[in-house]
Amino acid sequence: MRVSLRKAVLAIALAAAPLGASAQTLEIATDASPSGLDPHVATAFATILVNGNLYEGLTAIDKDLRVVPSLAESWSVSPDQLTYTFKLRAGVIFHDGQTMTAKDVTASIDRVLDKATGSPIASRFNMIASSAADASGFVIKLTEPSAPFLAQLSGLAILPATHGDLARTAVGTGPFKLVEWVPDTYLRLAKHDQYWEKGLPKLAALKINIVPEASTRQVGIASGTYHMIPTLDAQTALTLKGNANVRLIQAQDLAYTLIGLNVSKPPFDNAKVREAVNVAIDRGKVVQAAYFGQGVAGGPLSPALTDWATPVDKFSCYKPDAAKAKALLKDAGIAGELAVTINVLGSIQVVKDVAQVVQAELNQAGFKASLNVQEQGKFIQDWRNSAFEAFASTNGGNVDPDDYLNRTFRTGGSTNVFKYSNAGLDKLLDDGRRTTDKAQRQKIYTEAQQVLACQGPISHVAYGTLFTAVRSNVKGYELIATRSTRYLRETSLDK
Amino acid sequence: MRRLILARLIDLLTVLFGVSIIVFLMIRLIPGDAVQIMLGANTEITPERLAALYHRLGIDRPILEQYFLWLAGVLQGDLGRSVWTGAPVAEEIIARIGVTAELMATSLTLAVVLAIPAGCLMAYVRRSAGDYAIRLVTIAGITVPSFWLGIVLIYVFYNLAPNFQAVGYVPFRDDPVGNLSRLLLPTIALSLPILAALSRILRTAMLDALGQDYVRTARGKGVSEAGVVFRHALRNALIPFVTAVGIIAGYLFGGTIVVEQVFALPGLGRLIIGAIAERNYPLIQAAILLVTSGFVVINFLVDLLYAAIDPRVQGE
Repeated sequence: MRVSLRKAVLAIALAAAPLGASAQTLEIATDASPSGLDPHVATAFATILVNGNLYEGLTAIDKDLRVVPSLAESWSVSPDQLTYTFKLRAGVIFHDGQTMTAKDVTASIDRVLDKATGSPIASRFNMIASSAADASGFVIKLTEPSAPFLAQLSGLAILPATHGDLARTAVGTGPFKLVEWVPDTYLRLAKHDQYWEKGLPKLAALKINIVPEASTRQVGIASGTYHMIPTLDAQTALTLKGNANVRLIQAQDLAYTLIGLNVSKPPFDNAKVREAVNVAIDRGKVVQAAYFGQGVAGGPLSPALTDWATPVDKFSCYKPDAAKAKALLKDAGIAGELAVTINVLGSIQVVKDVAQVVQAELNQAGFKASLNVQEQGKFIQDWRNSAFEAFASTNGGNVDPDDYLNRTFRTGGSTNVFKYSNAGLDKLLDDGRRTTDKAQRQKIYTEAQQVLACQGPISHVAYGTLFTAVRSNVKGYELIATRSTRYLRETSLDK
Repeated sequence: MRRLILARLIDLLTVLFGVSIIVFLMIRLIPGDAVQIMLGANTEITPERLAALYHRLGIDRPILEQYFLWLAGVLQGDLGRSVWTGAPVAEEIIARIGVTAELMATSLTLAVVLAIPAGCLMAYVRRSAGDYAIRLVTIAGITVPSFWLGIVLIYVFYNLAPNFQAVGYVPFRDDPVGNLSRLLLPTIALSLPILAALSRILRTAMLDALGQDYVRTARGKGVSEAGVVFRHALRNALIPFVTAVGIIAGYLFGGTIVVEQVFALPGLGRLIIGAIAERNYPLIQAAILLVTSGFVVINFLVDLLYAAIDPRVQGE
């Protein structure tokens, strides 16, 4: 007995991790653990939450979704839109003490483009012909004009040319550096003392706690265990609303819930059937039931993108009408109820809720929909292999419309798992990418949204409200619709 | 006795070998893999870049080859490395085992300490209204799922004491009071079903003992009813009770997985859940082997204890 007791005590002692808790550590509670921290490979939400504080790009996106300088102080673009000349910021020090040079920027771009890296963001930078420093500054030459290029550079993390294994270490230029990572438990980030922006970050450390249960996160912030929950579901947000010690910050989300339709096989190869799905869905009801009223109906682009998004009243199929949906199915040559199976991403509650409401609505409009709720690994595999009739999921959005529309809807696009192909739309998207005149682009994307809204391969259902909860003594944090936690560098804690 | 120990050891190794094959194959049969999870849904990637990632994580080899490479490593004391952090999985497991051990120890202790008086009391007031009331409570205790109980406890405590630090974890070394206060609710959630089961087992064993001849003799000698129950019957009733504690300790790990998840405790259970969700193969394999070993070893010890208590077992 004595021996085993000693062993237990020893095991407990081993489990104790060194903690230097200080008043200036911000305790964050989030639901999912990052899967790997390589900034050029891991792109899931959980990773972005962490990496946004460790790594920076040449540009950044601010709270108004504008492109602002980051590791590049300024830039100029040649008249033919093919040459970008950046003035790199001087005195930028990596977490390992090395000073950032043009060589590091070139190496980072090369690493993303290198096939061996397996970077999912590589396709965004395929038009880079060369990158190097010359007398005028750091020059990137493109093979063709690319309107979203500057926005996309915000997501290309700059690493030192010589670095260790990025699965185990993180070496960026960000305001915080990685101190400790206990998978599925917490990550500890400490202030980067040599951060290039003087006076930042204001906090000494961040501790990102992985807390899977929503109710535990909620009680944790209400009782003061945690200072911040970066993304809250609407239900938890509404519950916390009355709490005097908790402040809610909200923004229109770029991410949305959707029903994806496989157009490479019946029944969704028929545009009328796709339109019937859109007409059957009562998006207002979905927002009420699945988002607790905290969201809006939306089309192919988020209403948060005020410069680009077409208001939903401009889409004829957004007026719910079960009789019209049935008539469309009849026109498509379908007799009786149309049986469809919808794969549902089971790891996200709002997706499951939306799927159930949509199922009920489809079943009143001539469909016989059944839901196949899947574990995330299985869902992703089927998604990537286009092994679905229809699916319910959620997607993150992008700041520039080209980013999302091109990869999702262009023939052969990298996330076009729907096998959608529309020559007219392809031309619009190519023009939109090459044109840098904003008014011209707005016209193009308005037309593209009209093409996609009713008969495209995706029924865009709803855009939720993004909620962040902070304790009332947390100051200076701003919420960005991209879900980036960039403003943690400006955040401080009052006693 | 020596023959029994040797036979049990051979059993143990056979079980572990079988489990290693089953676990290895099972987790690879689950659709989806580490690369898909890392990329997440709706991520753009070309097939050749996808292949490069499989190669980087070393999961592009044939399954059998992977298995024998892993087995060779295990036999040399190398359990493999985590897919994400690249750290040896043994380190990750050792870092987490203490939390689970502490939670299991506090829960089992609380359950045993409360089950003995509760079981005796139930036997003492047998077939009275009080006995039925306690039995009803114990049935509820056995049937209520731990995760639900956990969430209810979190809310109830929050409303009673809004500033009570009920969730999360701090190591005992840094803050003993904070550590124990955060373990209070998980311990209650985990121990309640065990307490209910153990007290019922003890009640039955006590009633059995109370029907024996030596109890009648004691009563005949004029010993008080309380003295009969607590001094004479309890000692004999404890034999099946101790066996049950051993068996329950083996099964307890299943309960800790759920409780750790609800209360965000950084224990072995959550490590396994996370590893399965992320398809972190080496970590799942090592952790499940460890848990299986623990289970088999506990059973083995219970058998030995039995043999020590009851010489008839050795002859079987």
